[in-house]
Amino acid sequence: MVNPILLIIVPLGTAFLISLTASFLKNSTKYLALLAMIANVWVSIKLLPEVMQHSINVVIAGVKPPLGINLFVGPSGAVFSILISAAGLLILLYSFKYIEGDSQHKYYTLFLLLITGSHGMVLTGDVFNLFVFFEILAISSYILVGYEGKRNGLEAAVKYLILGSIGSVLILVAVALIYQEAGTLNMADLADKFGMIDPSKRLMILVFFITGMGVEAAVFPLNSWLPDAHSSAPSSISAMLSGFVIEVALIVIVKFVYSIFAMTEILGFLSLVAVITLLVGEFAAFKQANIKRVLAYSSIGQIGLILFAMSLNSTGGINAGLMQIVNHTASKSILFLVAGFLIVRTGSYQISDYRGIAKKMPVSAFFFVIGVLSLLGVPPFFGFFSKLAIIIAALHTGSIFNTVMVFLVLLGTVIESIYFLRIIQVMYNRDGIVDSVKEAPFLPLLAIAAFAVVILAGFLVLPQITGYTGGVASEIVRKMQMAQVF
Amino acid sequence: MRKVISFLLLAGFVFYFATLTGGLLIPDSSADRSSVGLDILSRSADETGSANAVTSVVVLYRGFDTLGEVTVLFLAALGISVFMKSTGEKRKKVLDQSFILKTGSRLLFPLMFLFGMYIIAHGHLSPGGGFPGGVIIATGFFVILLTSESVNFNKTLMSVLEGLAGLSFIGLGVVGLLGPGNSFLQNFLPLGTFNTVFSAGIIPLIYAVVGIKVGAELSSVVYAMKESK
Repeated sequence: MVNPILLIIVPLGTAFLISLTASFLKNSTKYLALLAMIANVWVSIKLLPEVMQHSINVVIAGVKPPLGINLFVGPSGAVFSILISAAGLLILLYSFKYIEGDSQHKYYTLFLLLITGSHGMVLTGDVFNLFVFFEILAISSYILVGYEGKRNGLEAAVKYLILGSIGSVLILVAVALIYQEAGTLNMADLADKFGMIDPSKRLMILVFFITGMGVEAAVFPLNSWLPDAHSSAPSSISAMLSGFVIEVALIVIVKFVYSIFAMTEILGFLSLVAVITLLVGEFAAFKQANIKRVLAYSSIGQIGLILFAMSLNSTGGINAGLMQIVNHTASKSILFLVAGFLIVRTGSYQISDYRGIAKKMPVSAFFFVIGVLSLLGVPPFFGFFSKLAIIIAALHTGSIFNTVMVFLVLLGTVIESIYFLRIIQVMYNRDGIVDSVKEAPFLPLLAIAAFAVVILAGFLVLPQITGYTGGVASEIVRKMQMAQVF
Repeated sequence: MRKVISFLLLAGFVFYFATLTGGLLIPDSSADRSSVGLDILSRSADETGSANAVTSVVVLYRGFDTLGEVTVLFLAALGISVFMKSTGEKRKKVLDQSFILKTGSRLLFPLMFLFGMYIIAHGHLSPGGGFPGGVIIATGFFVILLTSESVNFNKTLMSVLEGLAGLSFIGLGVVGLLGPGNSFLQNFLPLGTFNTVFSAGIIPLIYAVVGIKVGAELSSVVYAMKESK
């Protein structure tokens, strides 16, 4: 058995090792980061078949829960670990050519800490430990947003810092209330005892927790930081933040609502919020002229779609939402990574400046089109199957409310297709005004191509993928029990 | 008008909060709940060999959280060094400090350093430990940095110390993982005689690396803030 704790201590230890060796290895420290990410991909792939059989409980410091901290790795932890480490590895390869400057070791240290925080959030079995990893994830992303030191990046980082800190205080209050009322911090133990808490306090814990985590997950009224942060971060970081960081926060919310708090009565409200998030994101994206802001608002729309699927209160809905997460991670990473070199090569964020760029950067433009088509849900790309699954799951519930919501979701897709196809039209315009623009280097294109393979070949292994996501879905809808942990 | 509305909203929120959390400030002892805290208190001395129960919680029962907290501090220091880039040139005009202040701070520094070391080394016996001890050491550096115009502050040494201390923390945990307990951060050393300096297994070792790390990080934070524009 591989120990899941390696997924956390390998990137964390490598981050410390980079800090130790930075003075003489200089920019070669990136190869240390590469080794750590390869190790993480290997561990998470080894882990998946095991946890599909039975969940793994890892005791830390030799103290059995609920007294100590444990990692509780079920299908959801393993599937998200693969998603995080695989996307992280590819984005790291992209960063090799994309990040320039003298103190790159700081970038790679922060990168690994962001990976550490994401893994910790999906693997931990302890509520306070979740908060600690949330802090690691949040603080490393604040710094990475402002990493380039430009004015708009710093402004976005400060905005993100303020909202994010309010969110983490709310989570901390929720954790304190949990400990006060239930006398435990272990997730499984809490799931057993949560029903015994006074209903008004239960609601309060739920509200504080969802609001705090919702800031990071970019749910509608709490997401004003996202367009600035995701658009002014370095493009590799935008790809990480949109690709899996907001999804990790979202899956934590979903996991708590279903399997720990078991308060499914909030789901109707959540699906309403989700559809508002989707429509706000898509309408706002429609108006943007800056390519990264379009992608950032589109991420808000997509997170709304995923939350809608996951709040249907059915295994099918969660399954569909997970497929959409896979699709969004791959296709949005492609779009942000391509946009990164479009910006580097043309020196402009404006879509109108990319007129006819497909002639000069044909490979990048081709991958951009693939990413867009999958995000829109055009067959036979992976996005088609995930969107279809969401609609089927929603109509399957049979309620009129969900049917109306499906129409709104489809309206969102129509808007999405208008603004994305407009960008493609500009890129493939014949009378190009762009000159002296080179194609992106080989390594970044390779990373982008690997993401493209996922959405192109995804439908070939669809039964396998739905097998794993189905396992995650049935884990999430089931209430956690202390008996599982021992 | 906006002020009135926001005041009303705030008052409503406070009222809601106060009604719901009426019992928050007054712990109701009558409730018959098994609490993890009481459980730990009754067994920590036997299990960990640490005379200070708080330390046993911080370093062992919730040692993984402490590793996370150390990382958060590491991140904060890193963030400051990313955003407050050193200008490289000396500041034009530095206030000339008085002779008494300069000599006094130099006299004070070794004492503060020693006191910090004491706090770190006795974390498992008396209140204190790696975090406060490290802060005291960093405060010593802070006094020196504030009072003298030019200090030979070795930034590389600090980042090496930070990395080394972090790696040692993880290394101590991994030894436990490879040992018979097969658990990260397992206490693999003998517990020794209760209430003596050499007791409680790996607790003093972990507190020592935490102390080094906190001291090095806060010192470089202070230095980065002094050197920035």
